[in-house]
Amino acid sequence: MIAVQVIVGGLLLGAIYALFSSGLTLIWGMMNFINFAHGEFVMLGMYAALLVVVWLGGGPVTFGAAAAGALFALGAVIYLSLVRHVLRGPMLAQILSTFGLALLLRYAAFWWFSANYVSLPGNALSGTIAIGGIFIPVAQLVAGVAAIVLTLLLQLLLTRTLIGSALLAVAEDPGAAMLMGIRPDRIQALAWGLSAGSAGVAGALLATAYPWSPSVGETFGLIAFVVVAFGGFGSVLGSLYAGLIIGLIQAASAFWLGAIYKDVVVYALFVALLWLRPQGLMGKA
Amino acid sequence: MTKLPTSRVGVVLLAAGLLVYPLVFTGAFYHDVGVSFLLAAIAASAWNIVGGYAGQISVGHSMFFGIGAYTPLLFYTLFGWSPIAGIPVAIVLSLGLAALIGLPTLRLSGHYFSMATIAVAELIRLLVSTWSFVGAAIGLQGPASGRGWWDLTFRSELPYYYIFLAVLGLVLAVTAAFESRRFGYYVRAIKAGERAAKSLGVPVLQTKMQALALSAVFTSVAGSLYAVKTGFVDPGSGFGILVSVQMVIIAALGGAGTLYGPLLGALILIPLQTATNNWLGGGGSGLTFIIYGGIIVLIARFEPGGLMELWYRLRAKRWRKLDAAA
Amino acid sequence: MPLLEATDVSKTFGSFRAVSGASLSLDQGEIVGLIGPNGAGKSTFFNCLAGDMPPSAGRITLDGIDLTYASADVHARAGIGRTFQVPATFEDMSVLDNVMVGAFLRHAHRDEARARAGRIVSLTGLRPDQRARSLGTPGRKRLEIARVLATEPRVMLLDEALAGLTPGELQEAIALVRKIHETGVTIVIVEHIMEVIMTLTRRVLVFNQGHVIASGTPEEVVRDEQVIEAYLGRPFRREDRRD
Repeated sequence: MIAVQVIVGGLLLGAIYALFSSGLTLIWGMMNFINFAHGEFVMLGMYAALLVVVWLGGGPVTFGAAAAGALFALGAVIYLSLVRHVLRGPMLAQILSTFGLALLLRYAAFWWFSANYVSLPGNALSGTIAIGGIFIPVAQLVAGVAAIVLTLLLQLLLTRTLIGSALLAVAEDPGAAMLMGIRPDRIQALAWGLSAGSAGVAGALLATAYPWSPSVGETFGLIAFVVVAFGGFGSVLGSLYAGLIIGLIQAASAFWLGAIYKDVVVYALFVALLWLRPQGLMGKA
Repeated sequence: MTKLPTSRVGVVLLAAGLLVYPLVFTGAFYHDVGVSFLLAAIAASAWNIVGGYAGQISVGHSMFFGIGAYTPLLFYTLFGWSPIAGIPVAIVLSLGLAALIGLPTLRLSGHYFSMATIAVAELIRLLVSTWSFVGAAIGLQGPASGRGWWDLTFRSELPYYYIFLAVLGLVLAVTAAFESRRFGYYVRAIKAGERAAKSLGVPVLQTKMQALALSAVFTSVAGSLYAVKTGFVDPGSGFGILVSVQMVIIAALGGAGTLYGPLLGALILIPLQTATNNWLGGGGSGLTFIIYGGIIVLIARFEPGGLMELWYRLRAKRWRKLDAAA
Repeated sequence: MPLLEATDVSKTFGSFRAVSGASLSLDQGEIVGLIGPNGAGKSTFFNCLAGDMPPSAGRITLDGIDLTYASADVHARAGIGRTFQVPATFEDMSVLDNVMVGAFLRHAHRDEARARAGRIVSLTGLRPDQRARSLGTPGRKRLEIARVLATEPRVMLLDEALAGLTPGELQEAIALVRKIHETGVTIVIVEHIMEVIMTLTRRVLVFNQGHVIASGTPEEVVRDEQVIEAYLGRPFRREDRRD
């Protein structure tokens, strides 16, 4: 029974990994660009949720939407003011732009919020429910299910709507898209907004169920790399499967090997993947 | 043609300045700053070989620095060996790690290498901080007082200063030597365009691996120097992200892919860092990171070539003006 | 024995067949042209010859040595050099340094490489100390030719190296290619400008929809029914948009 408990807990956390990783994979697939600050977007989403709850009150829908909106705006602004200018620049500029941004955001958060762990003050999602002998905190269940739904909605947005077609067109050929009346910069800003917004809402969902400190950004950023590497660069559905698997592996290794090894195992998996499945890293799954 | 003598004079002046600095500015504080400057310049110059010249951006070079720092102290702790004996072992280990990371990722686009470096550095830091064999979270210590010169444990900063200066000279000499040779042309060609470089017969993967190996060796040596000088290393000071960030920021600020860029970067950043640490105390380190992050973003956005590039551009502009006036 | 021989080369991308069963046999000292409408498979075939991508089927040999699956740098060392349709010069390096990268292939020592590169640069009329970035398209194309020449190729693959030039520049470029050919280099040209094909080549292969549909002297192929149809009189098909 305890094994089932571990599995369910891992899948619910993995669903949130899937949600923020699909934001990373979206940017990678569209513009062949890796955002080293993606984990910090998740972390900011968590603090955004906290600030909304503390200042304004409101339930999960309120702070979830607020975190998504705030990060959407931040993502678009970062694209327009920073990323757009380094995209055609040297590799050094591409990588250092978001790497520097990650440091800036991470340590600004340390400075502002201190290194202490915090959690959302008691909200509607407290308590535990028992299903067939296993106990699941309501918050984890709601967060996990919401994450899956949002990831699927993002996938639908990308594959079934006009916005999705425009994103795809710009990813394929910005010049041709421009001739079709699409403005690549706006679409790419939108993509960055969606990417950061998915990280932000994932952060808000995490905040309902788990305590955190500013250092989680680094961990989540690396986890997003691992998920994207597993699921295939550019594939939202791939991220969904891979996120669930990574969550499962992490929960299992934390349970059977000890809590300190949960990240070690995931990073080691990433290194192993680099060696064993480099084609999986290159191709779109 | 008139450029060569002036640059030679510059090199001689620079070398002379660095040689007499600790004799002119006596006192522990100045010597300490000098040693920190040299160490930072060595590490950034080492990073510069693969990151600046070959354009393969490592954001986890602390892994080589940490191996360089831990290995000599580990062998001292285990067998009482002189740190000098541990330095070559560290180099071999760093080369092994370079192969482990480079061979799979350097075939792919540069992003994979960057992602792998940050993930592996973090993995090693996590492992080291839980592994009691290497001191876990507490770290390792070197000889408290030297049994002889070979323990490289000196009371005065002066011997360290000159040892570090000699190593810096060596790194710069090696860099200058390859800059004008085939290897230097090949790495710059790869950075400029891998496909075109390959079409001209450049063995791309092999050349990148060589650049990474050379860079790893010198970074490892920098770590060893740090460990023998401080006589102590822990996961943060050996494998921490700040270690990698410092190398990147110093090289990029001065000018990645230029011989003296890292030197210039260290010349600006180390005094700045010393000053902020003195003003703000230990609690200021968070603020230091924020400033570092900001500087890195600004460099990437506005001046990826660093200050050296900026200077060349301004100089060229002035010359054009002078030409126009004449 | 032919110098360069490609036998039944095919290349597929997923379900799309870019090249199917193309063959080319090239003797020492020839100049051969590859023509065909956009998306006919010329560039893909070309990339296979240069080692840029391995063919899905078929065989490529140079002087009897199998190069089918060898990478581009091995092709260069074996003696197959190529230019790019969109010039890929090393932007931050000077003209001389660009050419030196090529020269280092046969001359490991920098003084020899520099001397060799200097001679080649003077042949092209470019200024050695100019940065590649500051060159226009004609200058870049010329620099690419110089760079390949510095690798001392036996076969030179020119991918639209003469496109986008003014009539004056075109005559100069044709003269340059001739000069290179006279030194004994075998040349394959992909080109849209019929004037270049007519004046430089003796033999032409015409590509359409991944197949070689005709070959012969330039005069023969321009009269070929199938060729005329491929270029002009045929309903538009969707596959043609791929390149």
